[in-house]
Amino acid sequence: MNKQQSISNNPVENPEKWVDLYGDYLYRYALYRVYEATVAEDLVQETFLAALRSFKNFQYRSSIKTWLTGILKHKIIDHFRKKAKEQQIDDIEPNINKLDDLFTKNGQWKIKPANWNADPQKLYDQKEFIKILHKCLSELPGRQASAFILREIVGEKTKEICKILDISTTNCWVLLHRARMYLRRCLEIKWFTNEDVRESK
Amino acid sequence: MKHWMFNCKKVTHLVSESLDRKLSLDQRMGMRIHLMMCKFCSRYQEQLLFLRKTARLYSESSEEPDLSTQLSSEVGKRIKESMVRFLEKHK
Repeated sequence: MNKQQSISNNPVENPEKWVDLYGDYLYRYALYRVYEATVAEDLVQETFLAALRSFKNFQYRSSIKTWLTGILKHKIIDHFRKKAKEQQIDDIEPNINKLDDLFTKNGQWKIKPANWNADPQKLYDQKEFIKILHKCLSELPGRQASAFILREIVGEKTKEICKILDISTTNCWVLLHRARMYLRRCLEIKWFTNEDVRESK
Repeated sequence: MKHWMFNCKKVTHLVSESLDRKLSLDQRMGMRIHLMMCKFCSRYQEQLLFLRKTARLYSESSEEPDLSTQLSSEVGKRIKESMVRFLEKHK
């Protein structure tokens, strides 16, 4: 491909420049929400193609970066919608038994929540903590993971999430409840209880 | 209205749901009374709020540049080619 000297900001004349400018940013944005590198790569590609298709409608009311991020967000939500169609309802229940072990028959705590005493901002600066957070998120079963990510990371309203995942509102609350219950337990085991050991040394 | 009858398991449901919807007055009262008396459920609530804050930080940090998460040059090339092909087709 022989590109002439006339390099323009218009992506239609120079699409390579778009990828150079925004590719990494969009990829990271996607990867943090869908976890799988290949999925994130495909979403970035779809985003650029969709952007080329609708560039003539772009009004420069926002920055190109914001505009592209908006397109990517839609693609990410579509990804969760498609994924939910492939997943059968049976994965709504999978880690219920594990979670039930946390309580006695009378619904009292059997494994009592520990005192974390943690500042999210400080913890967030630690690479190790992020790794463990990633690991715990990746262990969540299909729809629970989708529900949690859409709610807490993408920032969707519960109503929207029900539509995207095609489930009832009650089911949605249950999924979110189980995801949170699982994540806090996972962090407690993999990070906080270890920390207690470290501190008491 | 037997609020004191809510057990911990039930309260963990309500604590989570309170992050997604407005609870009924009954549920709110029951939850609050239980939380005042139960150290562990209070911790549970703090932990869910911690999760929410952490998720927000996570979401925000995805928008900062990071050299360790980049498109590989191969994929970058593939995307560029697909865009060029698209433009050729739609000239």
